[in-house]
Amino acid sequence: MKNKKFLFLSLAFVLSILLAACGSEDSSSGDTETAEGDKVSIEIFQGKVEFKDQFEDLVAKYEEENPNVSITVETVGGGTDYAPVLKSAFSSGDAPDIFNVTGPQDVIDYKEYLTDLSDTAAAQAALEGTLTAVTDGDQILGLPFNQEGYGLVYNKRIFEEAGVNAEEILTFEDLEEAVKTIDGMKEELGIEGVFALPGKEAWVMGDHLANAFLAPEFNNDIMEAFNAETVTFERGDEMKRFLDLQAEYSVGPVLSLDYSQQVEENFSLERVAMIQQGNWVYPSVQQMDEELAQNIGMLPIPVEGLEGRLPVGVPNNWAVNNEGSEAEIQASKDFLDWMYTSEEGKRAVLEDFKFIPAYEGYDTEMISDPLSKDVYTYSEAGNTIGWIFGGYPSNPWGTDVMGSNMQRYLADDMTWEEVVEDSIAKWEEKR
Amino acid sequence: MRNRDLAFWLFLTPVLLGLGLVVIVPLIYGTIYSFTNWNGLTADKFVGLEHYINLFQDKGFLNSIWFTIKFSVVTVFLLNFFGLSLALLVTRKLKSANFLRTIFFMPNLIGGLILGFIWQFIFVSVFDDVGQLLGVESLQGWLATTATGFWGLVILTVWQMSGYIMIIYIAYLQNIPNELIESSKIDGANSFQRFRSITFPLVAPAFTVSMFLTLSTSFKMYDQNLSLTNGGPFESTQMVAMNIVRTAFGANEMAYGQAKAVVFFIIVAVISLTQVYYNKKREVDM
Repeated sequence: MKNKKFLFLSLAFVLSILLAACGSEDSSSGDTETAEGDKVSIEIFQGKVEFKDQFEDLVAKYEEENPNVSITVETVGGGTDYAPVLKSAFSSGDAPDIFNVTGPQDVIDYKEYLTDLSDTAAAQAALEGTLTAVTDGDQILGLPFNQEGYGLVYNKRIFEEAGVNAEEILTFEDLEEAVKTIDGMKEELGIEGVFALPGKEAWVMGDHLANAFLAPEFNNDIMEAFNAETVTFERGDEMKRFLDLQAEYSVGPVLSLDYSQQVEENFSLERVAMIQQGNWVYPSVQQMDEELAQNIGMLPIPVEGLEGRLPVGVPNNWAVNNEGSEAEIQASKDFLDWMYTSEEGKRAVLEDFKFIPAYEGYDTEMISDPLSKDVYTYSEAGNTIGWIFGGYPSNPWGTDVMGSNMQRYLADDMTWEEVVEDSIAKWEEKR
Repeated sequence: MRNRDLAFWLFLTPVLLGLGLVVIVPLIYGTIYSFTNWNGLTADKFVGLEHYINLFQDKGFLNSIWFTIKFSVVTVFLLNFFGLSLALLVTRKLKSANFLRTIFFMPNLIGGLILGFIWQFIFVSVFDDVGQLLGVESLQGWLATTATGFWGLVILTVWQMSGYIMIIYIAYLQNIPNELIESSKIDGANSFQRFRSITFPLVAPAFTVSMFLTLSTSFKMYDQNLSLTNGGPFESTQMVAMNIVRTAFGANEMAYGQAKAVVFFIIVAVISLTQVYYNKKREVDM
């Protein structure tokens, strides 16, 4: 009996220390908002590591101009890391005021927390089509970060030396011919292959490559894809021949080639003529070789009947938590408006963030890198193919099903028919 | 109960509390959640055994279990083999013994993630270049097939952990009384006989410990798997831990992932406990 008493005593002792520690922390962090009257503090939780510093600089500038607002920014990067951390923030009751939603599934998951942003200036200024994934009836539940586009990033010097005119490449046949020409001159050009296909990255194949040929099936509409019960692979054969072309003329071994080898080792060191990637590779190329970075461009992936169109889409959106106080919600909206519509904000978005704006009223002459410029040119002219992979079934179908089936196909572990069959079956299963 | 005075409990409470908060409570909660449709935010429906039934038809999960089992069998064997061999080597009267101990133990100090990336570079770039230089086809394209991915993981794990296992064996080897060795020498036993009849039985307790350690670490392997192969190609080198993480966070099926985790917990617990039970029975008392 005596021992039990000691147990309780010691338990109580340790507990009281623990509780005291927790208690003091709470009072220092939680209640500052109300204590200082009209001072508002908001918390931003975002997932784009690439522009963390630039974004924090802009936030600091905003705080200077608006002394009654204090903003804390927390960045957790990478698609697979952000979502769980956000989720645990919500379930632990410590939800941020501004957070990111990537696509229709997020919008559904977080619906009860999303504020209607249709009265913001940014929402009014958003370019047509950039709000599709976050619109619910007449409510606009998110604001696009930016636009991004992908295609075949090519080395202009190599194309020139091979005597290939990139502007004339429109159809698959054109591309095939150009590839063969370049491949025949590998020695003279000093390259090891025409392409670098990163077979290790399921997202490059399953999300991006497949998207170019699946989007027409859903009228380039992410919501149509999201609501589709099935997928038919109307253009499956086109997808196959484009994948085959890349695999056949790629430096090898394809299946262990990853993103950094593709972009840094092979493309930036000019070992290959082109890679299938997006405008986001620009900073990496620039860091490796400033001169080369000014001499690259982007070619569209040839899709029959849709030649000369680049897949362009919105990778991510800002959302405002509606559980905050009115002042917090308003301050959050004001900040987002300021970032995308004020002169200072617009400058930062273009020059510091190096974003391709998803909003009107930008002086796009200021876009400095050639890839973003190409993407913007295609997007402005309406020559785009939609990004629908945000509307793939969440398994995630794009990487876990489509991407790994394509890997199996490249490893001769599966025929193309099996790839198509299995991918359709898994899509239907998840819907 | 003679040792259990106030100080005993006072020192033990923080550990018990910690263990309770980060192990026992989550385990209970997790098990409860695995019977619901929990998505990480809300759980509003009780689905009973649905997840557990699905899980046994989930090819990806079953593959990852099979892969993990194969991996564990091979690594447990190799780790103990190399661990014991290294221990025998460094307990000899060598000048460089202490130096070698440090060298062998060092890989263990590097984190799994970094190790994975280092070995990835070795397998993909170094192997490739050497293969090209020597014209050896089989050195090229490592990690691009299931088989090379498997052996890549095995090599990495053995390289990392055998130094640690070596330390355990050293501790037991040094406990073997010299008289036994000496008298066996007088009796005319050669070094193989000595190893088989004296050393081996007397380090048996070390087998229990190191088998348990190697078995449970190979089963729970995650970071090396993530950084070395990332489950590829086509998820064929995905181990159970990674499959669970992907299900819960990648596919956003928290409750289903939790159900897998419960099954995984049971498997690891049963295997480890059985192993410890049988190894214990085999130990000899001096």
